[in-house]
Amino acid sequence: MDTYAVILGMALVTYATRAPAIFLLSRRLPSALERFLGHIPAAVFAALVAPPLLAPEGSLTLGLPAVAAIPAAAVAWRTRQVFPTILAGMGSYWVLRWLAG
Amino acid sequence: MAREAMNPASPSNTPPPAPRFRHGFVAVAPLVPGVAAFALVYGVVARQVGLSLLATTMMSALVFAGAAQFTAVSMWGLASGALIVVTTLMINLRHLLMGASMAPHLRGQSATWKALLAFGLVDESYALAISRYLRGEGSREFFLGVNVALYVAWVLSGLTGGVLGGLVMQPARWGIDLVFPLAFLGLLVPLLTRPVTGAVAAASGLVAVVAAPWLPGKGNLVLAILLGSGVGTALEAWWTPTR
Repeated sequence: MDTYAVILGMALVTYATRAPAIFLLSRRLPSALERFLGHIPAAVFAALVAPPLLAPEGSLTLGLPAVAAIPAAAVAWRTRQVFPTILAGMGSYWVLRWLAG
Repeated sequence: MAREAMNPASPSNTPPPAPRFRHGFVAVAPLVPGVAAFALVYGVVARQVGLSLLATTMMSALVFAGAAQFTAVSMWGLASGALIVVTTLMINLRHLLMGASMAPHLRGQSATWKALLAFGLVDESYALAISRYLRGEGSREFFLGVNVALYVAWVLSGLTGGVLGGLVMQPARWGIDLVFPLAFLGLLVPLLTRPVTGAVAAASGLVAVVAAPWLPGKGNLVLAILLGSGVGTALEAWWTPTR
């Protein structure tokens, strides 16, 4: 698939999540569906976080990325911001790598 | 004006359109550095996975969805274009809920205003605009002001990151690929305020790791997201017996 076709597709599906409710909705969604949709962000982020940190080579390994994630998670909890989290994680990772030789 | 009559706040207390737009700008200012920094990282990593500066910037300008763009870039070259689009849809489904809660406040606005405000409906703008509306001080101009400030910061910082990303050499040496899970960790952790969300995250993360060898091309993500959200929905139905 062409790069620009993917970008256009992303743009269309994104707008398709933002506009219809504003234009059409006069009542609430069924509560079970609403709950399901509400849980998706956490599920998405966890699915993206776990494999590279906990199983970088495919199987469960507690290596440097997993250890570096601990201070990063603490910073994420305190600041609720992405950028400080990345700085804390990368900083810890570089220090750990230097210590490990 | 009909719009003023709908507003619970007294019309005489509501400033005219231009100041309301400016108030939106001012209200979002504290959030702009965080958004700009995220966009900067997006721009850098988008170039690292091989997107051109034009494609990097065009994605920001047309999609305008941080988490989804970041996810797309992290999957770039590893998953099919179709799966990237489907994943974008899943990540942005939450906007459906935000749109639904915003809808009553935008009733009576023209289609042009609705279309414009819907494009800018992101987590940050939703949070600011809905809190104003709930206090009876909301307006389309305020919402638009927030959207424009966020959009300009997002696109320009992404462009800047894209220029810088073209200069960084040997990404693997610096462990740049670790930026992706760390960014998602930064998005995930603030969401973990309820036990049920912790269960969703644990289930999804576990499934993503376990299913990875059997579902290549990031198919494990789809399974993990559906099962994780399903676990959360089931637990909530079980814990809160609402009939």
